[in-house]
Amino acid sequence: MAASKSGINKGKGTFIVLYLGPALIIYLGLVIWPLIQAFQFSLYRWSGLSNVATFIGLHNFQKLAHDDVFWRSLEHNLALLVIGGAVIVAISLVAAHLLAEKGRSARLLRGVILFPQMMSLTVVAILWMFIFNPQFGIVTGLFNVLHLGNLSKTWLAYPPTALPAVGIAFAWFAIGFYAMLFSAGLKTIPDEVKEAAELDGAAGWQKFRKVTWPMLWSIKRIVLVHLTILVLNIFVLVYLMTAGGPDRATEVLLTYMYQRAFQDSQLGYATAIAVANFVVAMVLTFLVLLVIGKDPTEARP
Amino acid sequence: MIWMLILSFKPGYKIVANPWSLPHHLHFENYTNAWTTAHLGHDFGNSILVTIGTLIVLMPIGAMAAYVLARYPFKGSQLIFGTILGGMMFPFFLVMVPLFMLMNQLHLYDTKSGLILVYIAYSLSFTIFVLYGFFQTLPHELAEASMLDGCNHHSVFWKVMLPLARPGMIVVAVFNAIGLWNEYALALVLVPSQANHTLPLGIADLASTQQYQSDWGALFAGLVIVILPVLIVYWILRDRIHDTMLAGAVKG
Repeated sequence: MAASKSGINKGKGTFIVLYLGPALIIYLGLVIWPLIQAFQFSLYRWSGLSNVATFIGLHNFQKLAHDDVFWRSLEHNLALLVIGGAVIVAISLVAAHLLAEKGRSARLLRGVILFPQMMSLTVVAILWMFIFNPQFGIVTGLFNVLHLGNLSKTWLAYPPTALPAVGIAFAWFAIGFYAMLFSAGLKTIPDEVKEAAELDGAAGWQKFRKVTWPMLWSIKRIVLVHLTILVLNIFVLVYLMTAGGPDRATEVLLTYMYQRAFQDSQLGYATAIAVANFVVAMVLTFLVLLVIGKDPTEARP
Repeated sequence: MIWMLILSFKPGYKIVANPWSLPHHLHFENYTNAWTTAHLGHDFGNSILVTIGTLIVLMPIGAMAAYVLARYPFKGSQLIFGTILGGMMFPFFLVMVPLFMLMNQLHLYDTKSGLILVYIAYSLSFTIFVLYGFFQTLPHELAEASMLDGCNHHSVFWKVMLPLARPGMIVVAVFNAIGLWNEYALALVLVPSQANHTLPLGIADLASTQQYQSDWGALFAGLVIVILPVLIVYWILRDRIHDTMLAGAVKG
């Protein structure tokens, strides 16, 4: 026995190093090292590839605090998170209940609900630009049919409607995934609980509010954390649909960061925006975990 | 989406005149226009090259690392696993500027191999996470028995464990492939010149030029070219994709 044990251990160390090494080197070099540098860069004034970086401490962040565009961008992110998030959660919940039904249409829904997730965000953006196209898009067509032709503005080019329009495209893209999460959550609610609720006379909306909604707490937590991170990282849709315009009406943190980094060549300041974005995401995630930290169904005796 | 498919067979001027009517006959020239005039054929080739190039390196080194972490616990292995999982949490925008600088220094900026290297690095977390779970579920006795039969660590991995992990490997590879095929933001920053463009970049360029040339038919043909391969793969493997997606979200 002792002999075979040492046989198993023979060459174990080399094996570990040899097999873990390549992945670890690539990961440390291209993920962890730039991550450390990001926090470092945010403390420098650094323009372009000139290699002249001046250490300015927290100056970038002080500048950020007085940067109107930064705050407006953050507002847009938060508006998308709160309003867009509420819409997404509501529709995903309805879709999740539909997914739980039996029959052909539920099967069909299960098949197609993740289609938007499988598409490149570029495709999603182009598709919705086309839908909102003032000349021949669906939205204009719809308003014309309803004789509301005067409502059919150029949605994406008109400041008050541009952000909601981007939000709609974002919701369309995101809903499938959250519907799948909620539907997985619904499956974990034990049948006895549902039956007990029905025996107590709860049905429909009341059953949902009193039983289903509290029972979904752990899924809610995942959804909210996920959604927070996703919305703060929204970039491709905005960049392609409006590029932050018109007149910064749809500017979000990352489109602003991209502009500062790769159009204005303010690499230090841009990284400070990215760091601020990360901090906001962390704080919001922490708040979500704090609010939905405990199992409400266990809290009751 | 069906609308998109129909539009891809209509000539551009008819789309503007009446987007709702069905085409009288199928205008395949939209596809040839998109493929050749708009360089999408070239971008398609780049996308294939970058996706496959990434997977060929990513899958073996990801599987090797996941296997060691799952089956050879050592001091610090949990720390390494945790660090790798952390990579799924933070947004890559945080590292965009440093990554851009690093690629410049390595002379890999605006090269396909540079993009592949970055794709490998940023796909490792997910790959190792899923395969780690997979290797843990494989029976321990099997590895021990093969060791007693005279296999060394290498042959146990390549001849016994890796073949058993094949279902997991396929799902992870497909998942990565879809993500890479669709990826836009990293490519936007790292490969600016048209010669290195992947499909998402190509289609975005096409969309912005169509606003002036209004060859909408070619644009819609382009959109179909981008999403069709993914939808076919998705449809074949949809149940497994669902499970993996949910698992990734719940743990991540």
